[in-house]
Amino acid sequence: MTYIIAYSIPGDPTRAWVGEKLLNPEALQRVREKYKFNAPWYEQFAFFVSQLLSGNLEDPIRNRNVFDEIFERFPITVELAIVGFTFLVAIGIPLGVLAAIKKDTAVDFFVRVFALVGSSLPAFVLYYYLILILFVYTSTTQLAGIPMPSASCRSAIASLPQTIPYIGNFLSAIGSVPMFGALMCGELEVVGETFRRLYLPGLALGLLNGGFIARIVRNSLLDALSSEYILYAKARGLSKLRVWGHAFKNALIPVVTVLGINFGGLLSGAVIAERVFNIPGMGRLMYEAITRANFPIIIASTFLFAIIYVTVNLVVDILYAVIDPRIRY
Amino acid sequence: MRLIYKLLTKIIDGYSLLRDRISPGWSSKNSSRLREWKLMAYAFSKSRIGVLGGLIVAVVIVIAIIGPAISWEPYWVYKSVTDPRLWLHPPCVPPSCSGAPLFGTDEWGRDIVAMSLYGFRISLVISLLVVLLGAPLGIFLGLLSGYRGGLVDEVIMRLTDIFIAFPGLILAIAFASVLPRRIRELLEAFPALRDFLSFLFGLRPQEYGQLAALISVWFAMVIVWWPGYARIVRGSVLSVKELPFIEAAKLIGISERKILIKHILPNVLSPVLVMMTFDLATATLFAAALSFLGLGPQEPVPELGFMISKAATYFPERSWHVVLYFGTLLLFIALGWNLLGDALRDILDPRTRRAIEFRGEGE
Repeated sequence: MTYIIAYSIPGDPTRAWVGEKLLNPEALQRVREKYKFNAPWYEQFAFFVSQLLSGNLEDPIRNRNVFDEIFERFPITVELAIVGFTFLVAIGIPLGVLAAIKKDTAVDFFVRVFALVGSSLPAFVLYYYLILILFVYTSTTQLAGIPMPSASCRSAIASLPQTIPYIGNFLSAIGSVPMFGALMCGELEVVGETFRRLYLPGLALGLLNGGFIARIVRNSLLDALSSEYILYAKARGLSKLRVWGHAFKNALIPVVTVLGINFGGLLSGAVIAERVFNIPGMGRLMYEAITRANFPIIIASTFLFAIIYVTVNLVVDILYAVIDPRIRY
Repeated sequence: MRLIYKLLTKIIDGYSLLRDRISPGWSSKNSSRLREWKLMAYAFSKSRIGVLGGLIVAVVIVIAIIGPAISWEPYWVYKSVTDPRLWLHPPCVPPSCSGAPLFGTDEWGRDIVAMSLYGFRISLVISLLVVLLGAPLGIFLGLLSGYRGGLVDEVIMRLTDIFIAFPGLILAIAFASVLPRRIRELLEAFPALRDFLSFLFGLRPQEYGQLAALISVWFAMVIVWWPGYARIVRGSVLSVKELPFIEAAKLIGISERKILIKHILPNVLSPVLVMMTFDLATATLFAAALSFLGLGPQEPVPELGFMISKAATYFPERSWHVVLYFGTLLLFIALGWNLLGDALRDILDPRTRRAIEFRGEGE
């Protein structure tokens, strides 16, 4: 499908890549040959897919392998997603539990309104509000920049595949996320700095969806509380805390589903957040690629999004089985 | 609250009179339906959230209809060119204003309140168009896929999966950056269509280039919008089609089309209606987000998201009032639809509706 979108972009992309002014017919011809733009569409399609799967696809504008480029941006998006997700969970779940405990009171009403306002507030407006409040007036935060672990740490992580067999590759991929890399090297101040710099976008992402999560937690918790095993638990004379513990575990299933979808969404890049806060993540990459008709990047990123979607769904399914032992596949 | 209930019953009575005029005996045949509608109106007037949302929506609609006509400043006059003092003039209290508007001006020296009157129209029209085109498309495909099953179901559902797996905003960006050129050509070919659409959006016909951008945003959003409806409708159709009354309808030989439209559709419609109300809020914000990213109309059209994105360049020193004002307007519009949707969800679900009515009688 991505291919269809890319294909329907009017104009000759090769011209845009080579550069309108320095148009050298020979260079134009060479680029066309390289990406098979003279061949019929099915041959082009086969070409792109085979190049993608063998990891040889090249970005025509910067002349680099697309995967190098994506893996430069993706860790940053992962970092933002983790910070945003932390806020989401920290805001959503406690509020939801609170609303369920104080059902039909002012607290419950407040959560309902909070969820509605959260879903009514355009993301970019909230970002500017928060910048105004937290950055301009109280200056409790810093903008811009993703802190990196030290150079020696980065090179150590990059050389992991050579030093440790098998899992080395995996470890270095995790370490490429600046926050995790710093953690692996024990550079805790870098981790702290990351949170300090990203907490504004993270807080915004958390506030936007936090109310929605809270509503779901509340509803599924109330559902669970009205079921028969809770009545039985109460009849057995368990303490209130234990009863709630039972209910909470069973209420988690729908919550995990929604959180999973949210995390997947965050991973595929928050285009607007990245634009407002100048974060060079996946959303920015994708936006630039689309506006410049940069097919290879579009296709490779889409491939990555599809993998993320499938992986998140898989993890959610596995979590179901962990939470609820009755579910078996 | 009582007033709203009376107003709604008047509307329902008027509608039944009208139907009686067309086909005599309609109101006595459908008396149970009319009673149900009146109960809904009663439940609605009892829900504070719904009434508040309804009022906000009514205000937004009225402003959107009359806005471009009553706006005291045309959007195509760049006042700051002749009077540099008006460039991003901050809000002021009357005595010290010396001619500057109360809420401040944008970077062309135009009164932001006057500009928002145009913005309301554009926002409302685009969100209505998206939902009114996206929802029927989704409903149709959902009905088809749920009722037929088999290969049709498989194809449609895999298609929706693809659309849902892909981040919606990015997909819309892709389409919105592709379409304008083609639509522009189309508008040049059909001047009547061009004039009609510019009237709809409250713009001047000569800005049909911006119109093309708006329409491509609309199409891009429709493409992203239908899969949600298709999924919901399919789910409800699957449960409704196994019910005895559908089997009975099949047995007495009613055509498939008639079963779908007359018997299945009304039973799956209420969740869709609720979703549509919520989606009007989402669509408003989504369109604003697209033009915030620079994909919607350009100068001089005062689209809400575009105004914010322009003001963001000078944020926060010179333009905080513009961002704050337009941002709050967007919040206001979306909040109205969301409140209404939240109330409708309770009212259209028979179980919760009965609860509301019961509480009402106890009072």
